Amino acid sequence: MKLGLLIDLDTCVGCHGCATACKQWNTSGTIGPLSDSNPYGKDPDGAWLNRIRTYEVGDAPDSKTVHFPMSCLHCENADCVTVCPTGASYKREEDGIVLVDQDKCMGCNLCAWACPYGARELDHDQGVMKKCTLCVDRIYDQNLPEEERQPACVLTCPTSSRLFGDFDDPESEVSIKSRQRGGRDLMPELGYEPTNKYLPPREKATVEMFALDSTEDGFSLKSWVNKMIAR
Amino acid sequence: MVHVLLKRRLIDEEFLVRYTNAPQLIIHAPGSAEHGLILRTDEGEPAVWDQVSENYASACDPNVSPALVGEYQTPDGRTVKTAMALILEKYSDLQYAPENAAEQCGIAAEDIERFALEMAQIAFKESIRIDTEWTDWAGRKHDHFIGRPVSMHAMRGISAHSNGFQTCRALHLLQALLGTIDCPGGHLAKPPYPKHIPPHIKPARTCAPNTPLESPPLGFPTSPEDLLIDENGDPLRIDKAYSWDAPIASHGMMHMVIRNAVNADPYSIDTLMLFMANMAWNSSMNTAETMNMLREKDDNGEYKIPFIVSCDAFHSETVNFSDLVIPDTTYLERYDTISMLDRPISEPHAACDAIRHPILNTDRDVRSWQEVLIELGGRLELPLFIDENGGRRYKDYKDFIINYEKTPGIGFLAGWRGENGDQHLVGAPNPKQWEAYIENESFFELKLADNQRFLRHSNQGYLEFAKNAGWVGSTDQIVIELYSETLQSFRLAGEGLYDGPTPKTEEQAERLVKYFDPLPFFYKPLEQQQQDENQYPFYAINQRPMHMYHSWDSQNAWLRQITSHNYMYMNRKQAIDLGIDDLGWAWVESHNGRIRVQVKYMEAVEKNTVWTWNAIGKQAGAWGLTKDANESHQGFLMNHLISESLPKQKSITNSDPITGQAAWYDLKVNIRAALAEEQGSWPEFDEVKTLPRQQSTPDSVSYATHSNVNLNRSNRDILTRGGLK
Amino acid sequence: MHPALSILVFTVTSGFGYGLMTLLILSQLLGGSPFANVNAYLIAFFVAFVLMSIGLLSSTFHLANPKNAWRAFNRFRTSWLSREGVLALLYYPIALSYVAVLWINEWQTTVAAYVLGAVCVVLGFVLTHCTAMIYASLKTIPQWHTRRVPIGFCLFFIYSGVLAYALAVVSEGGSPLSAVWIAACVLALTGLVFKLKYFTFVGEPSKTTINTATTFTEATVRLFDTGHSAENFLQKEFAYVVGPKTQALARKAVLALAFIVPLVLSALQFSRESSSLSMAIAAVLCCYVGLLLERWLFFIEAKHVVRRFYGEQY
Repeated sequence: MKLGLLIDLDTCVGCHGCATACKQWNTSGTIGPLSDSNPYGKDPDGAWLNRIRTYEVGDAPDSKTVHFPMSCLHCENADCVTVCPTGASYKREEDGIVLVDQDKCMGCNLCAWACPYGARELDHDQGVMKKCTLCVDRIYDQNLPEEERQPACVLTCPTSSRLFGDFDDPESEVSIKSRQRGGRDLMPELGYEPTNKYLPPREKATVEMFALDSTEDGFSLKSWVNKMIAR
Repeated sequence: MVHVLLKRRLIDEEFLVRYTNAPQLIIHAPGSAEHGLILRTDEGEPAVWDQVSENYASACDPNVSPALVGEYQTPDGRTVKTAMALILEKYSDLQYAPENAAEQCGIAAEDIERFALEMAQIAFKESIRIDTEWTDWAGRKHDHFIGRPVSMHAMRGISAHSNGFQTCRALHLLQALLGTIDCPGGHLAKPPYPKHIPPHIKPARTCAPNTPLESPPLGFPTSPEDLLIDENGDPLRIDKAYSWDAPIASHGMMHMVIRNAVNADPYSIDTLMLFMANMAWNSSMNTAETMNMLREKDDNGEYKIPFIVSCDAFHSETVNFSDLVIPDTTYLERYDTISMLDRPISEPHAACDAIRHPILNTDRDVRSWQEVLIELGGRLELPLFIDENGGRRYKDYKDFIINYEKTPGIGFLAGWRGENGDQHLVGAPNPKQWEAYIENESFFELKLADNQRFLRHSNQGYLEFAKNAGWVGSTDQIVIELYSETLQSFRLAGEGLYDGPTPKTEEQAERLVKYFDPLPFFYKPLEQQQQDENQYPFYAINQRPMHMYHSWDSQNAWLRQITSHNYMYMNRKQAIDLGIDDLGWAWVESHNGRIRVQVKYMEAVEKNTVWTWNAIGKQAGAWGLTKDANESHQGFLMNHLISESLPKQKSITNSDPITGQAAWYDLKVNIRAALAEEQGSWPEFDEVKTLPRQQSTPDSVSYATHSNVNLNRSNRDILTRGGLK
Repeated sequence: MHPALSILVFTVTSGFGYGLMTLLILSQLLGGSPFANVNAYLIAFFVAFVLMSIGLLSSTFHLANPKNAWRAFNRFRTSWLSREGVLALLYYPIALSYVAVLWINEWQTTVAAYVLGAVCVVLGFVLTHCTAMIYASLKTIPQWHTRRVPIGFCLFFIYSGVLAYALAVVSEGGSPLSAVWIAACVLALTGLVFKLKYFTFVGEPSKTTINTATTFTEATVRLFDTGHSAENFLQKEFAYVVGPKTQALARKAVLALAFIVPLVLSALQFSRESSSLSMAIAAVLCCYVGLLLERWLFFIEAKHVVRRFYGEQY
């Protein structure tokens, strides 16, 4: 299995719902708590596993605003795991999820350095590295109804811009959608082979104009002929 | 676009004849008291011209084929025209041609024409058909719905202009011409809507001690007789809603209350109660001046507003001005309803409502505002809150929500009614109703049957269902009003022709004549009419960020990490031309004042418009934030620039002259780069005093409901697993 | 990249330590001790051990959770940091054994001493290579992901060793062989040229751009909103920047302090009859400060690709 997310850049509206849902679930989950410093003071900052940035593509007037959610992409070639000296970071063989065993992390930051996507954040209060677990504590939880065995960010997304699934299965929804719409890798030149794929914005639909075949002038009250239409 | 469609006769004539008042006959008698009113039959029903009988007929008679366009002479010699004829006359005028509209809105004429023709293409050439049996308002059976998938979305931005009401009507006119209202793919209503136009609720006129209001405080006037004015024509309400200044102010005019009270216009008050409105800060236009007004004293040294009560869960800026602060709970600590009687969470094809229930126990001596109101109702022995024996009728809020019935069987919550909880929409109170909602994740959904989903304004199956649920008062067809007789009656009053109340002043009369056009039209927003636009070339608007939409009245350690200060977003090329740096500080000035803000370049903003997030800026020390918080020194409020009155008519509200909706979006400003040493937002205000026993804020927080269950990797795996490949 | 002081001190100080140790061993194996007495030799070894150890200890100061530092030896199979740790630990007993073997054999270079000394010298280079590879293995930092980094680390480690060794000899009243001053000059000159070329290299655009980061490769891409108002961990760690003037000044200081001054001083020493202690001290101090600054600049000029997501174009 190769579990990951398919993120639709066409429909994401940048509401930060996925980021806050992630923080809410995970602050009490396997990777929690996610600490915040200066929560009510100057320059508040904290550990988040999912962040949304916004870009402008192209110059006005041919410009598009694109909201860009990013969490761990669970790479095939996860250098964050390679560089980890303690073995706290690992990639699971069974489903490809990249995880951190917090009890073994020494907080050296090297994995964050090795990650091109900014997916890992050091929790200053806890002294250990935090990252997206794909909500491993939800997706396998037999106590949850089956439709809820999905990452918190996916469940909460109001525009369904996030899909969760197995990219190893060519018939899974994520695989099919990614094929149909040309799912893309971020920074493919670095060779990390991220599992998460990003769907590009769709081309603007072309709408035909009504073909005008009559020269009728609707404004001429005198020549207007009423149709027989029953109330 | 209306001009383009009408010119080519690209309109859904069946829709207009069957579902709107376009074929109704309007009396043409300029200078008379009945000019512009609808011709009525002896029974008082609107009249149409029936093409079959070639005679006048009732618009309510299903067995007629009304002429959509026409001009006729009545037997008594009056000239009448169909509303559609008036529409054609009005919008054929070249001022509505794309070439002229382009100058007003900045969209090229060929684009306006193209948009109109694309919509026509979709509506008429790419329509959809849904095969379902349904029965119309007159009992006639049909076997399908036609869908015209053209849909438009407009939320509160349009109504935040002083021409907003007529602009909204113009949008709906466009939808009606395309036949795309409540059809598949079109503009769909959500239960309990649609409602009859206007809804049969009039605003309460009188209030007296120990007497319940005879109707809700807000309603829908249909003629000058419904205004809330005294015998001198002066406003009865402190906000002047439903006065000549804003006759159809169906939302009230909260933004005017403080100013009116301080000016004793129409009268002064002794107590002001505020709930969920931060009137000393982001809920007021003209914030700095509003704060001064709250401090203003009369000749005797008494405050002009002597006693202010506020109810708040947080230490908002308004709390600081209050004589009595009623602590509120946060929404995580209370019961709440999002009721079908108000604005529920319905979907187009499902009636839905919802509750909230506490997920946190309160850790302080506090009750929710809802509980306090029920308690007050009981203690004051308000009629609704006492039983036959004079005892308390409702124990608490939960009890009230379950047992209060608007009419028998209909209460706040629509789901799981009846003693056994097996009835929906209508049924006796269910003592276990809250539990039923909680079991269902706090919401209720009832899907509409296939035959009830479309054309609900004229759909018998739906209308009967809706009447049973108490959403509408009758099963009569809901006729879409393209032509508003209500507005015309006010216009007649302005012209001095109305047989009833007429305005007091020239100013009032002029506004009625000018803006109460029974057909929608564009006019320049009032504020912009009264100032030199060259002096203030930029439109300035603000909106709430999505991630904070439901946190106006709270402060949140996570959300403020996302946005703890705001920028003024400005078109990149425009800013560069003005010599303003990206993230540089700039002065923004309106006729009402000036502020210093940080500018951020943006591609996607129109070159003559700037915008920002609102309610990000906070007064230093408020909301439990530290005094150096970014909100207070980098964040800013645009409110300072917006006046609650018009530049040249200080006694008149800066609002839509019809609905009294605050014209937040009419603001125009100029912008120039600040000097290098001018850094930080301005104005800054005195720090809010620390409350007695206020706790200091923590340097760090780690929220968790329980300690984490760690993910374990075995030492064996650590030592033996090779490289990744 | 954010330059953690502990890492700067660690890499430079331990570099001096391993370098001195390497030179001590080499000089012994190649030509016998130039030291007047045994104690001086032992003191020099001791100083080398102290420098190595200060460096290693300092390296743990930047850990957010040092109680798990011992686990860093676990993943030598893939992690250069782990390999560095393992080798650093291995270095001690081998170097100590070498000293012990010499001591037991009354400073005669036995076969055992040759073997242990050779292992120690090789280990010094391998260890420095491992340290360098921690940085050079990161594809995320184009300015580091290059052969230049291990070459530079090894060059600077042996260069600082030569200067430290010279100081050790001079401080005992001796004069190093001319070859030592020549080596110092050659290494300083090489370092100077190497560093100049590296400064050009770090200015080259990387193939990872804001366009490849966001997948929009056919249009201008600009960051509009970071999604958070204050700087977060990623910006503090990866987007640490100084002004261009500071950077230019730092570059000049590195070249002058680390290479030019020691080069001039070593050349002067070479031309003198007897070596000057103050000049030897000055050369080492200048080099130390210069290399600290070099390491600081090494971080400052490293542009992590996460910065593309924060608006940096390339």
